[in-house]
Amino acid sequence: MQQAFRSSVIEYLESLPEPVVSRLYQVPATCLAVFRLLPELGQYLVLSILFLNQPFKMADLPIKSTAKSRVALDLVRRRLRALSIIREHGGFAQIHKSFRRNFRIALTGGDTSRSFGVPSNSLDKSPVDSQFLAAHAKRHWESILHYMVGTDLSDVPNDGVLMLLRHAGLMEGKNLHSMSITQAGFQFLLQDVHTQLWALLLQYLSISQQLQMDPVDILHFIFMLGSMQLGQGYSLTDLSPTQTNMLEDLCDYGIVYKRSKSSRRFYPTPLAIMLTTDAGTLVSPSAAVDAANTAPDQKTELTSISDAAPAHFVLLETNYRVYAYTSSPLQIAILNLFVHLKSRFPNLVSGVITRDSVRSALAHGITAEQIILYLTVHAHPQMLRNDPVLPGTIADQIKLWQLEKERMTTTQGYLFKDFSGPREYEIAARYATEIGVLTWQNPKLRVFFVNEAGNSQVVDFINRRLKK
Amino acid sequence: MPKATKGEILSIPSDFKGDSVSNRFGKHDFSFLSLKPDHAARPLWINPIDGRIILESFSPLAEQAQDFLITIAEPVSRPTHIHEYRLTPYSLYAAVSVGLEPADIISVLDRLSKVPITESLINFIHTYTASVGKVKLILKHNHYYIESSSAEILKALLSDPTIASLRVASDGADQLTSEKAPTKGDLVIPGTKKPDTSAGEPQSQAEHNDKIENLYETVVGDDQDEEDQDTVHSFEVPADSIEVVKKRCQEIDYPLLEEYDFRNDQRNPDLEIDLKPSTQIRPYQEKSLSKMFGNGRARSGIIVLPCGAGKTLVGITAACTVKKGVVVLCTSSVSVMQWRQQFLQWSTIQPDSIAVFTSEHKEWFSTETGLVVSTYSMVANTRNRSYDSQKMMDFLTSREWGFIILDEVHVVPAAMFRRVVSTIAAHAKLGLTATLVREDDKIDDLNFLIGPKLYEANWMDLSRQGHIANVQCAEVWCPMTSEFYQEYLKETSRKRMLLYVMNPTKFQACQFLIHYHEQRGDKIIVFSDNVWALKAYALKLKKPFIFGGTPQHERMLILKNFQHNPEINTIFLSKVGDTSIDLPEATCLIQISSHYGSRRQEAQRLGRILRAKRRNDEGFNAFFYSLVSKDTQEMYYSTKRQAFLVDQGYAFKVITHLQGLDKLPDLAYSTARERRELLQEVLLQNEEAGMVERGDDADDAIGRGSNAFARKAQKPVKTTGSLSSLAGGDDMAYVEYNKSKNKELKSQGSSFISKLYKKRKK
Repeated sequence: MQQAFRSSVIEYLESLPEPVVSRLYQVPATCLAVFRLLPELGQYLVLSILFLNQPFKMADLPIKSTAKSRVALDLVRRRLRALSIIREHGGFAQIHKSFRRNFRIALTGGDTSRSFGVPSNSLDKSPVDSQFLAAHAKRHWESILHYMVGTDLSDVPNDGVLMLLRHAGLMEGKNLHSMSITQAGFQFLLQDVHTQLWALLLQYLSISQQLQMDPVDILHFIFMLGSMQLGQGYSLTDLSPTQTNMLEDLCDYGIVYKRSKSSRRFYPTPLAIMLTTDAGTLVSPSAAVDAANTAPDQKTELTSISDAAPAHFVLLETNYRVYAYTSSPLQIAILNLFVHLKSRFPNLVSGVITRDSVRSALAHGITAEQIILYLTVHAHPQMLRNDPVLPGTIADQIKLWQLEKERMTTTQGYLFKDFSGPREYEIAARYATEIGVLTWQNPKLRVFFVNEAGNSQVVDFINRRLKK
Repeated sequence: MPKATKGEILSIPSDFKGDSVSNRFGKHDFSFLSLKPDHAARPLWINPIDGRIILESFSPLAEQAQDFLITIAEPVSRPTHIHEYRLTPYSLYAAVSVGLEPADIISVLDRLSKVPITESLINFIHTYTASVGKVKLILKHNHYYIESSSAEILKALLSDPTIASLRVASDGADQLTSEKAPTKGDLVIPGTKKPDTSAGEPQSQAEHNDKIENLYETVVGDDQDEEDQDTVHSFEVPADSIEVVKKRCQEIDYPLLEEYDFRNDQRNPDLEIDLKPSTQIRPYQEKSLSKMFGNGRARSGIIVLPCGAGKTLVGITAACTVKKGVVVLCTSSVSVMQWRQQFLQWSTIQPDSIAVFTSEHKEWFSTETGLVVSTYSMVANTRNRSYDSQKMMDFLTSREWGFIILDEVHVVPAAMFRRVVSTIAAHAKLGLTATLVREDDKIDDLNFLIGPKLYEANWMDLSRQGHIANVQCAEVWCPMTSEFYQEYLKETSRKRMLLYVMNPTKFQACQFLIHYHEQRGDKIIVFSDNVWALKAYALKLKKPFIFGGTPQHERMLILKNFQHNPEINTIFLSKVGDTSIDLPEATCLIQISSHYGSRRQEAQRLGRILRAKRRNDEGFNAFFYSLVSKDTQEMYYSTKRQAFLVDQGYAFKVITHLQGLDKLPDLAYSTARERRELLQEVLLQNEEAGMVERGDDADDAIGRGSNAFARKAQKPVKTTGSLSSLAGGDDMAYVEYNKSKNKELKSQGSSFISKLYKKRKK
């Protein structure tokens, strides 16, 4: 599951047609970002042939040829071909022309297209520091996640964000302001922040395509953000209209900060910086924010200690009680989805898993598997010594609670009622039974239910009888 | 004692606003409490509102913290990693009565807690400890005195009209009697290490423990210093109004402690009794006894140990410590015999010093003082006493006893207890039980009828240390067959019970499990509360059974066979088997019907296999199956029943499908016709059959030995049935097809044992 989420950025790029990709590679910053998203072996391969001007014989690659490395290499080559970075012909590989040119520029300098953003030269009257930006990012991003888990918030994310959540299938509901989390939404919450970011941005891309916005323009901007410097203000001057629009939306997600609508200057937040770094180890947004903080002065360190929830913090007992070593409101809100919370201390919350609490989670579309996965992934070190990690009886019970809900089978069909007399009812019901289409009947109320296939036959039969 | 005033105003800092999730916790958001800098090293969190204590059992301090908490708080749940306790007025009362000072309780809690102790909690502790432990009830020369080291408190007590009116005026004077306070010596509980030998423990280990124990020594260690006041004051109260006085004292927050200074009791003759040199008591038994004899006197109270953890030995050791006349009361004549036998086995008491008093046996002891073993019902019964029992009762009531042991205290209804406690004058009372839970609130009564809970053992710890068996618990879900379920939906609640107990799928599961475990060489007990079902199952499966109506000698015969006869590996027991039947051979339990949501019954039944003989074999597991019919009330009750055991750390695995069930040869009710016949038969039964056994209700499990109660319960009932059933057709036919194994055993007679020897020779 997690793997599927993580690689989806690359997968999205792979799915783009060649002309679009060629346009993408016109920009040095994008080339660098794509390169950074590649697996290590891919990066090695690209660097090996980047500065060669003629096709390269793949067999000459100085890689030890074992069965395992061949498989890995094949995988990487397929990926690079899909991204159109290399083209292979009779054992020779050639690098994409624009990619080669612009990636070289990115590495060696001399960029004139200002694809890495234009630092704002004028002095900001009220400068912001990385501390402030981290807080800004955290506030916005976590308010989205809080909204998803159903925390009562004073500042609800704006409609644009909500629309995106619904479009992405993370939340559902007719009314934009009374939506509930979906199964995919819960899955989303369980991901690390890097994966979450990209998942949302890809959804943004798919919406923008419907709105006739240029995906290449958007991608350029995203990759540009990824290569910016934290704490540096950037000017809006060189942005395309699409990108300027987009800036407002990214502000809502907490990816960039802009003082006011009319301001001609914006700041990337730690979330933006994270876009093109491999952040596999970052679990919570706050941890990510802290990790991205390039200037870890003492204050930062303090907040990271009290704020960053360790990955392994949930203890589940055989008596269904849950003890979570956390102070993060977000983690507590997530637990609240399937745990009946009892009390809270500065570094611990206690609660209990009940049939009702699990059923309410199931009603939200969260599956038993997801609950078990969450508890397993975040299991406290004390529990990791057990095998299996969770008490088997509880995992079983959660699954059984889900099965309990799935016992209902539905049949499409038609209800027959309002018979003029017991005789009519009886004859019709008997006919339906004889031809084997009767699903349910209640002679007292003189109603019966016939499945879809048998409906016309029974209707015909009754019509014939009535005519007589 | 008044109920705790919950929700005392908690001083929440004014700048605390709470965050987006605070409202989920209501009043129980304590995130404003500041963590102590070294909180990681401390094992506790304390909820300032309801007094719940959460303990990290993996903390290095956990073991000591547990010892401390068990003294001051009620254990709520004790599974593997995190334990919960709760401070209650009663638990604090118990803590003070074993000699802890309120200030010590607070300071140790503060040292162990990750968060500071709030003002409200300190107030709570003070409120319920301030007046406790200051007043004692003493039995001297067969007169009761209320004693205190402070004359002020006694004067305060006497200003209460109820107590004042009950005071026995001595010499017409209003003066309080004053005398020298008792001093303590060096009491040694038999079977434990002598104090001086403890110094011999390895130095390195002692040093290792030193650091941690320092904390406790100051508190839990010796509490003698506080007790050496010079004089004590007292006044007398009449014996027949002791309970009124005790209750009143609880109400006005001066709960009476009962202590017996047995070593200075010159008036009552000593009993020649000691533990045999070979008898060793286990550490937790020693710990529980040290709570009882902590200050050299005997405190009255209750000791809670799991079934099979040696409650009897604790009682015997206590009796050997007091060395005065002892009365033991238990629930049935079977356990009367077991107690007598255990006393002979573990202690040096002479057989002629033991008197047995049941409906069948009435023996006196010939020595000056001795041991009397009897049942609650014999002592509490006030009507139609035979000449013999009346004489025995007169004997019991005329004397002053040093010590009374009340076995299985939880089953005794308060009314009966009152009679027992008021008729027999005993200096110290010890209640023994495995499960101090009742579905009603009568547990609280025990606090002033006997005394506070002195000790409660941790089941999982004992199991890990091999003192009780490892048990695999499972709940087997048996789907109702559609015919049965249809009737189930139509029927009244009592009949419903019969339907879900007689569910053919359940029967098959039971048959399969019996077959499977007999193959493995297990000895199996099947429990059914419903007697009709018990008989139906047992007859169909051709197994012997015991219920309330089974005569005593037949019971003994069946139990002996179960223990020694390799052919009899399964017995069916009704409620009579829930407690006190000691069968260490049993290794597997199957429960087919039970008493609604009784947590205690579940625990008691589990207790039947905890003492399994083979428990220390490598990889040995005992098995406990609870069969429940799916989608019936049973499922709901089943969850409730398991709550206690689950809190002790047991895990119930749900089995939805028994592998290989359909391949079992001779599977009962495998055809639709058989199932229909069974259904017809069940439907023909009147409502009474659906009920649980009468007069042998485990909640008032009295009269087990004398079947008088069971017989009385049978009253004429109006029934409807078919013609054939009126002619006795149903029952007769049943008995003919399924011959009772009981009768078979009987016909073999008691010659079985001799046969057994013959067989071996072959």
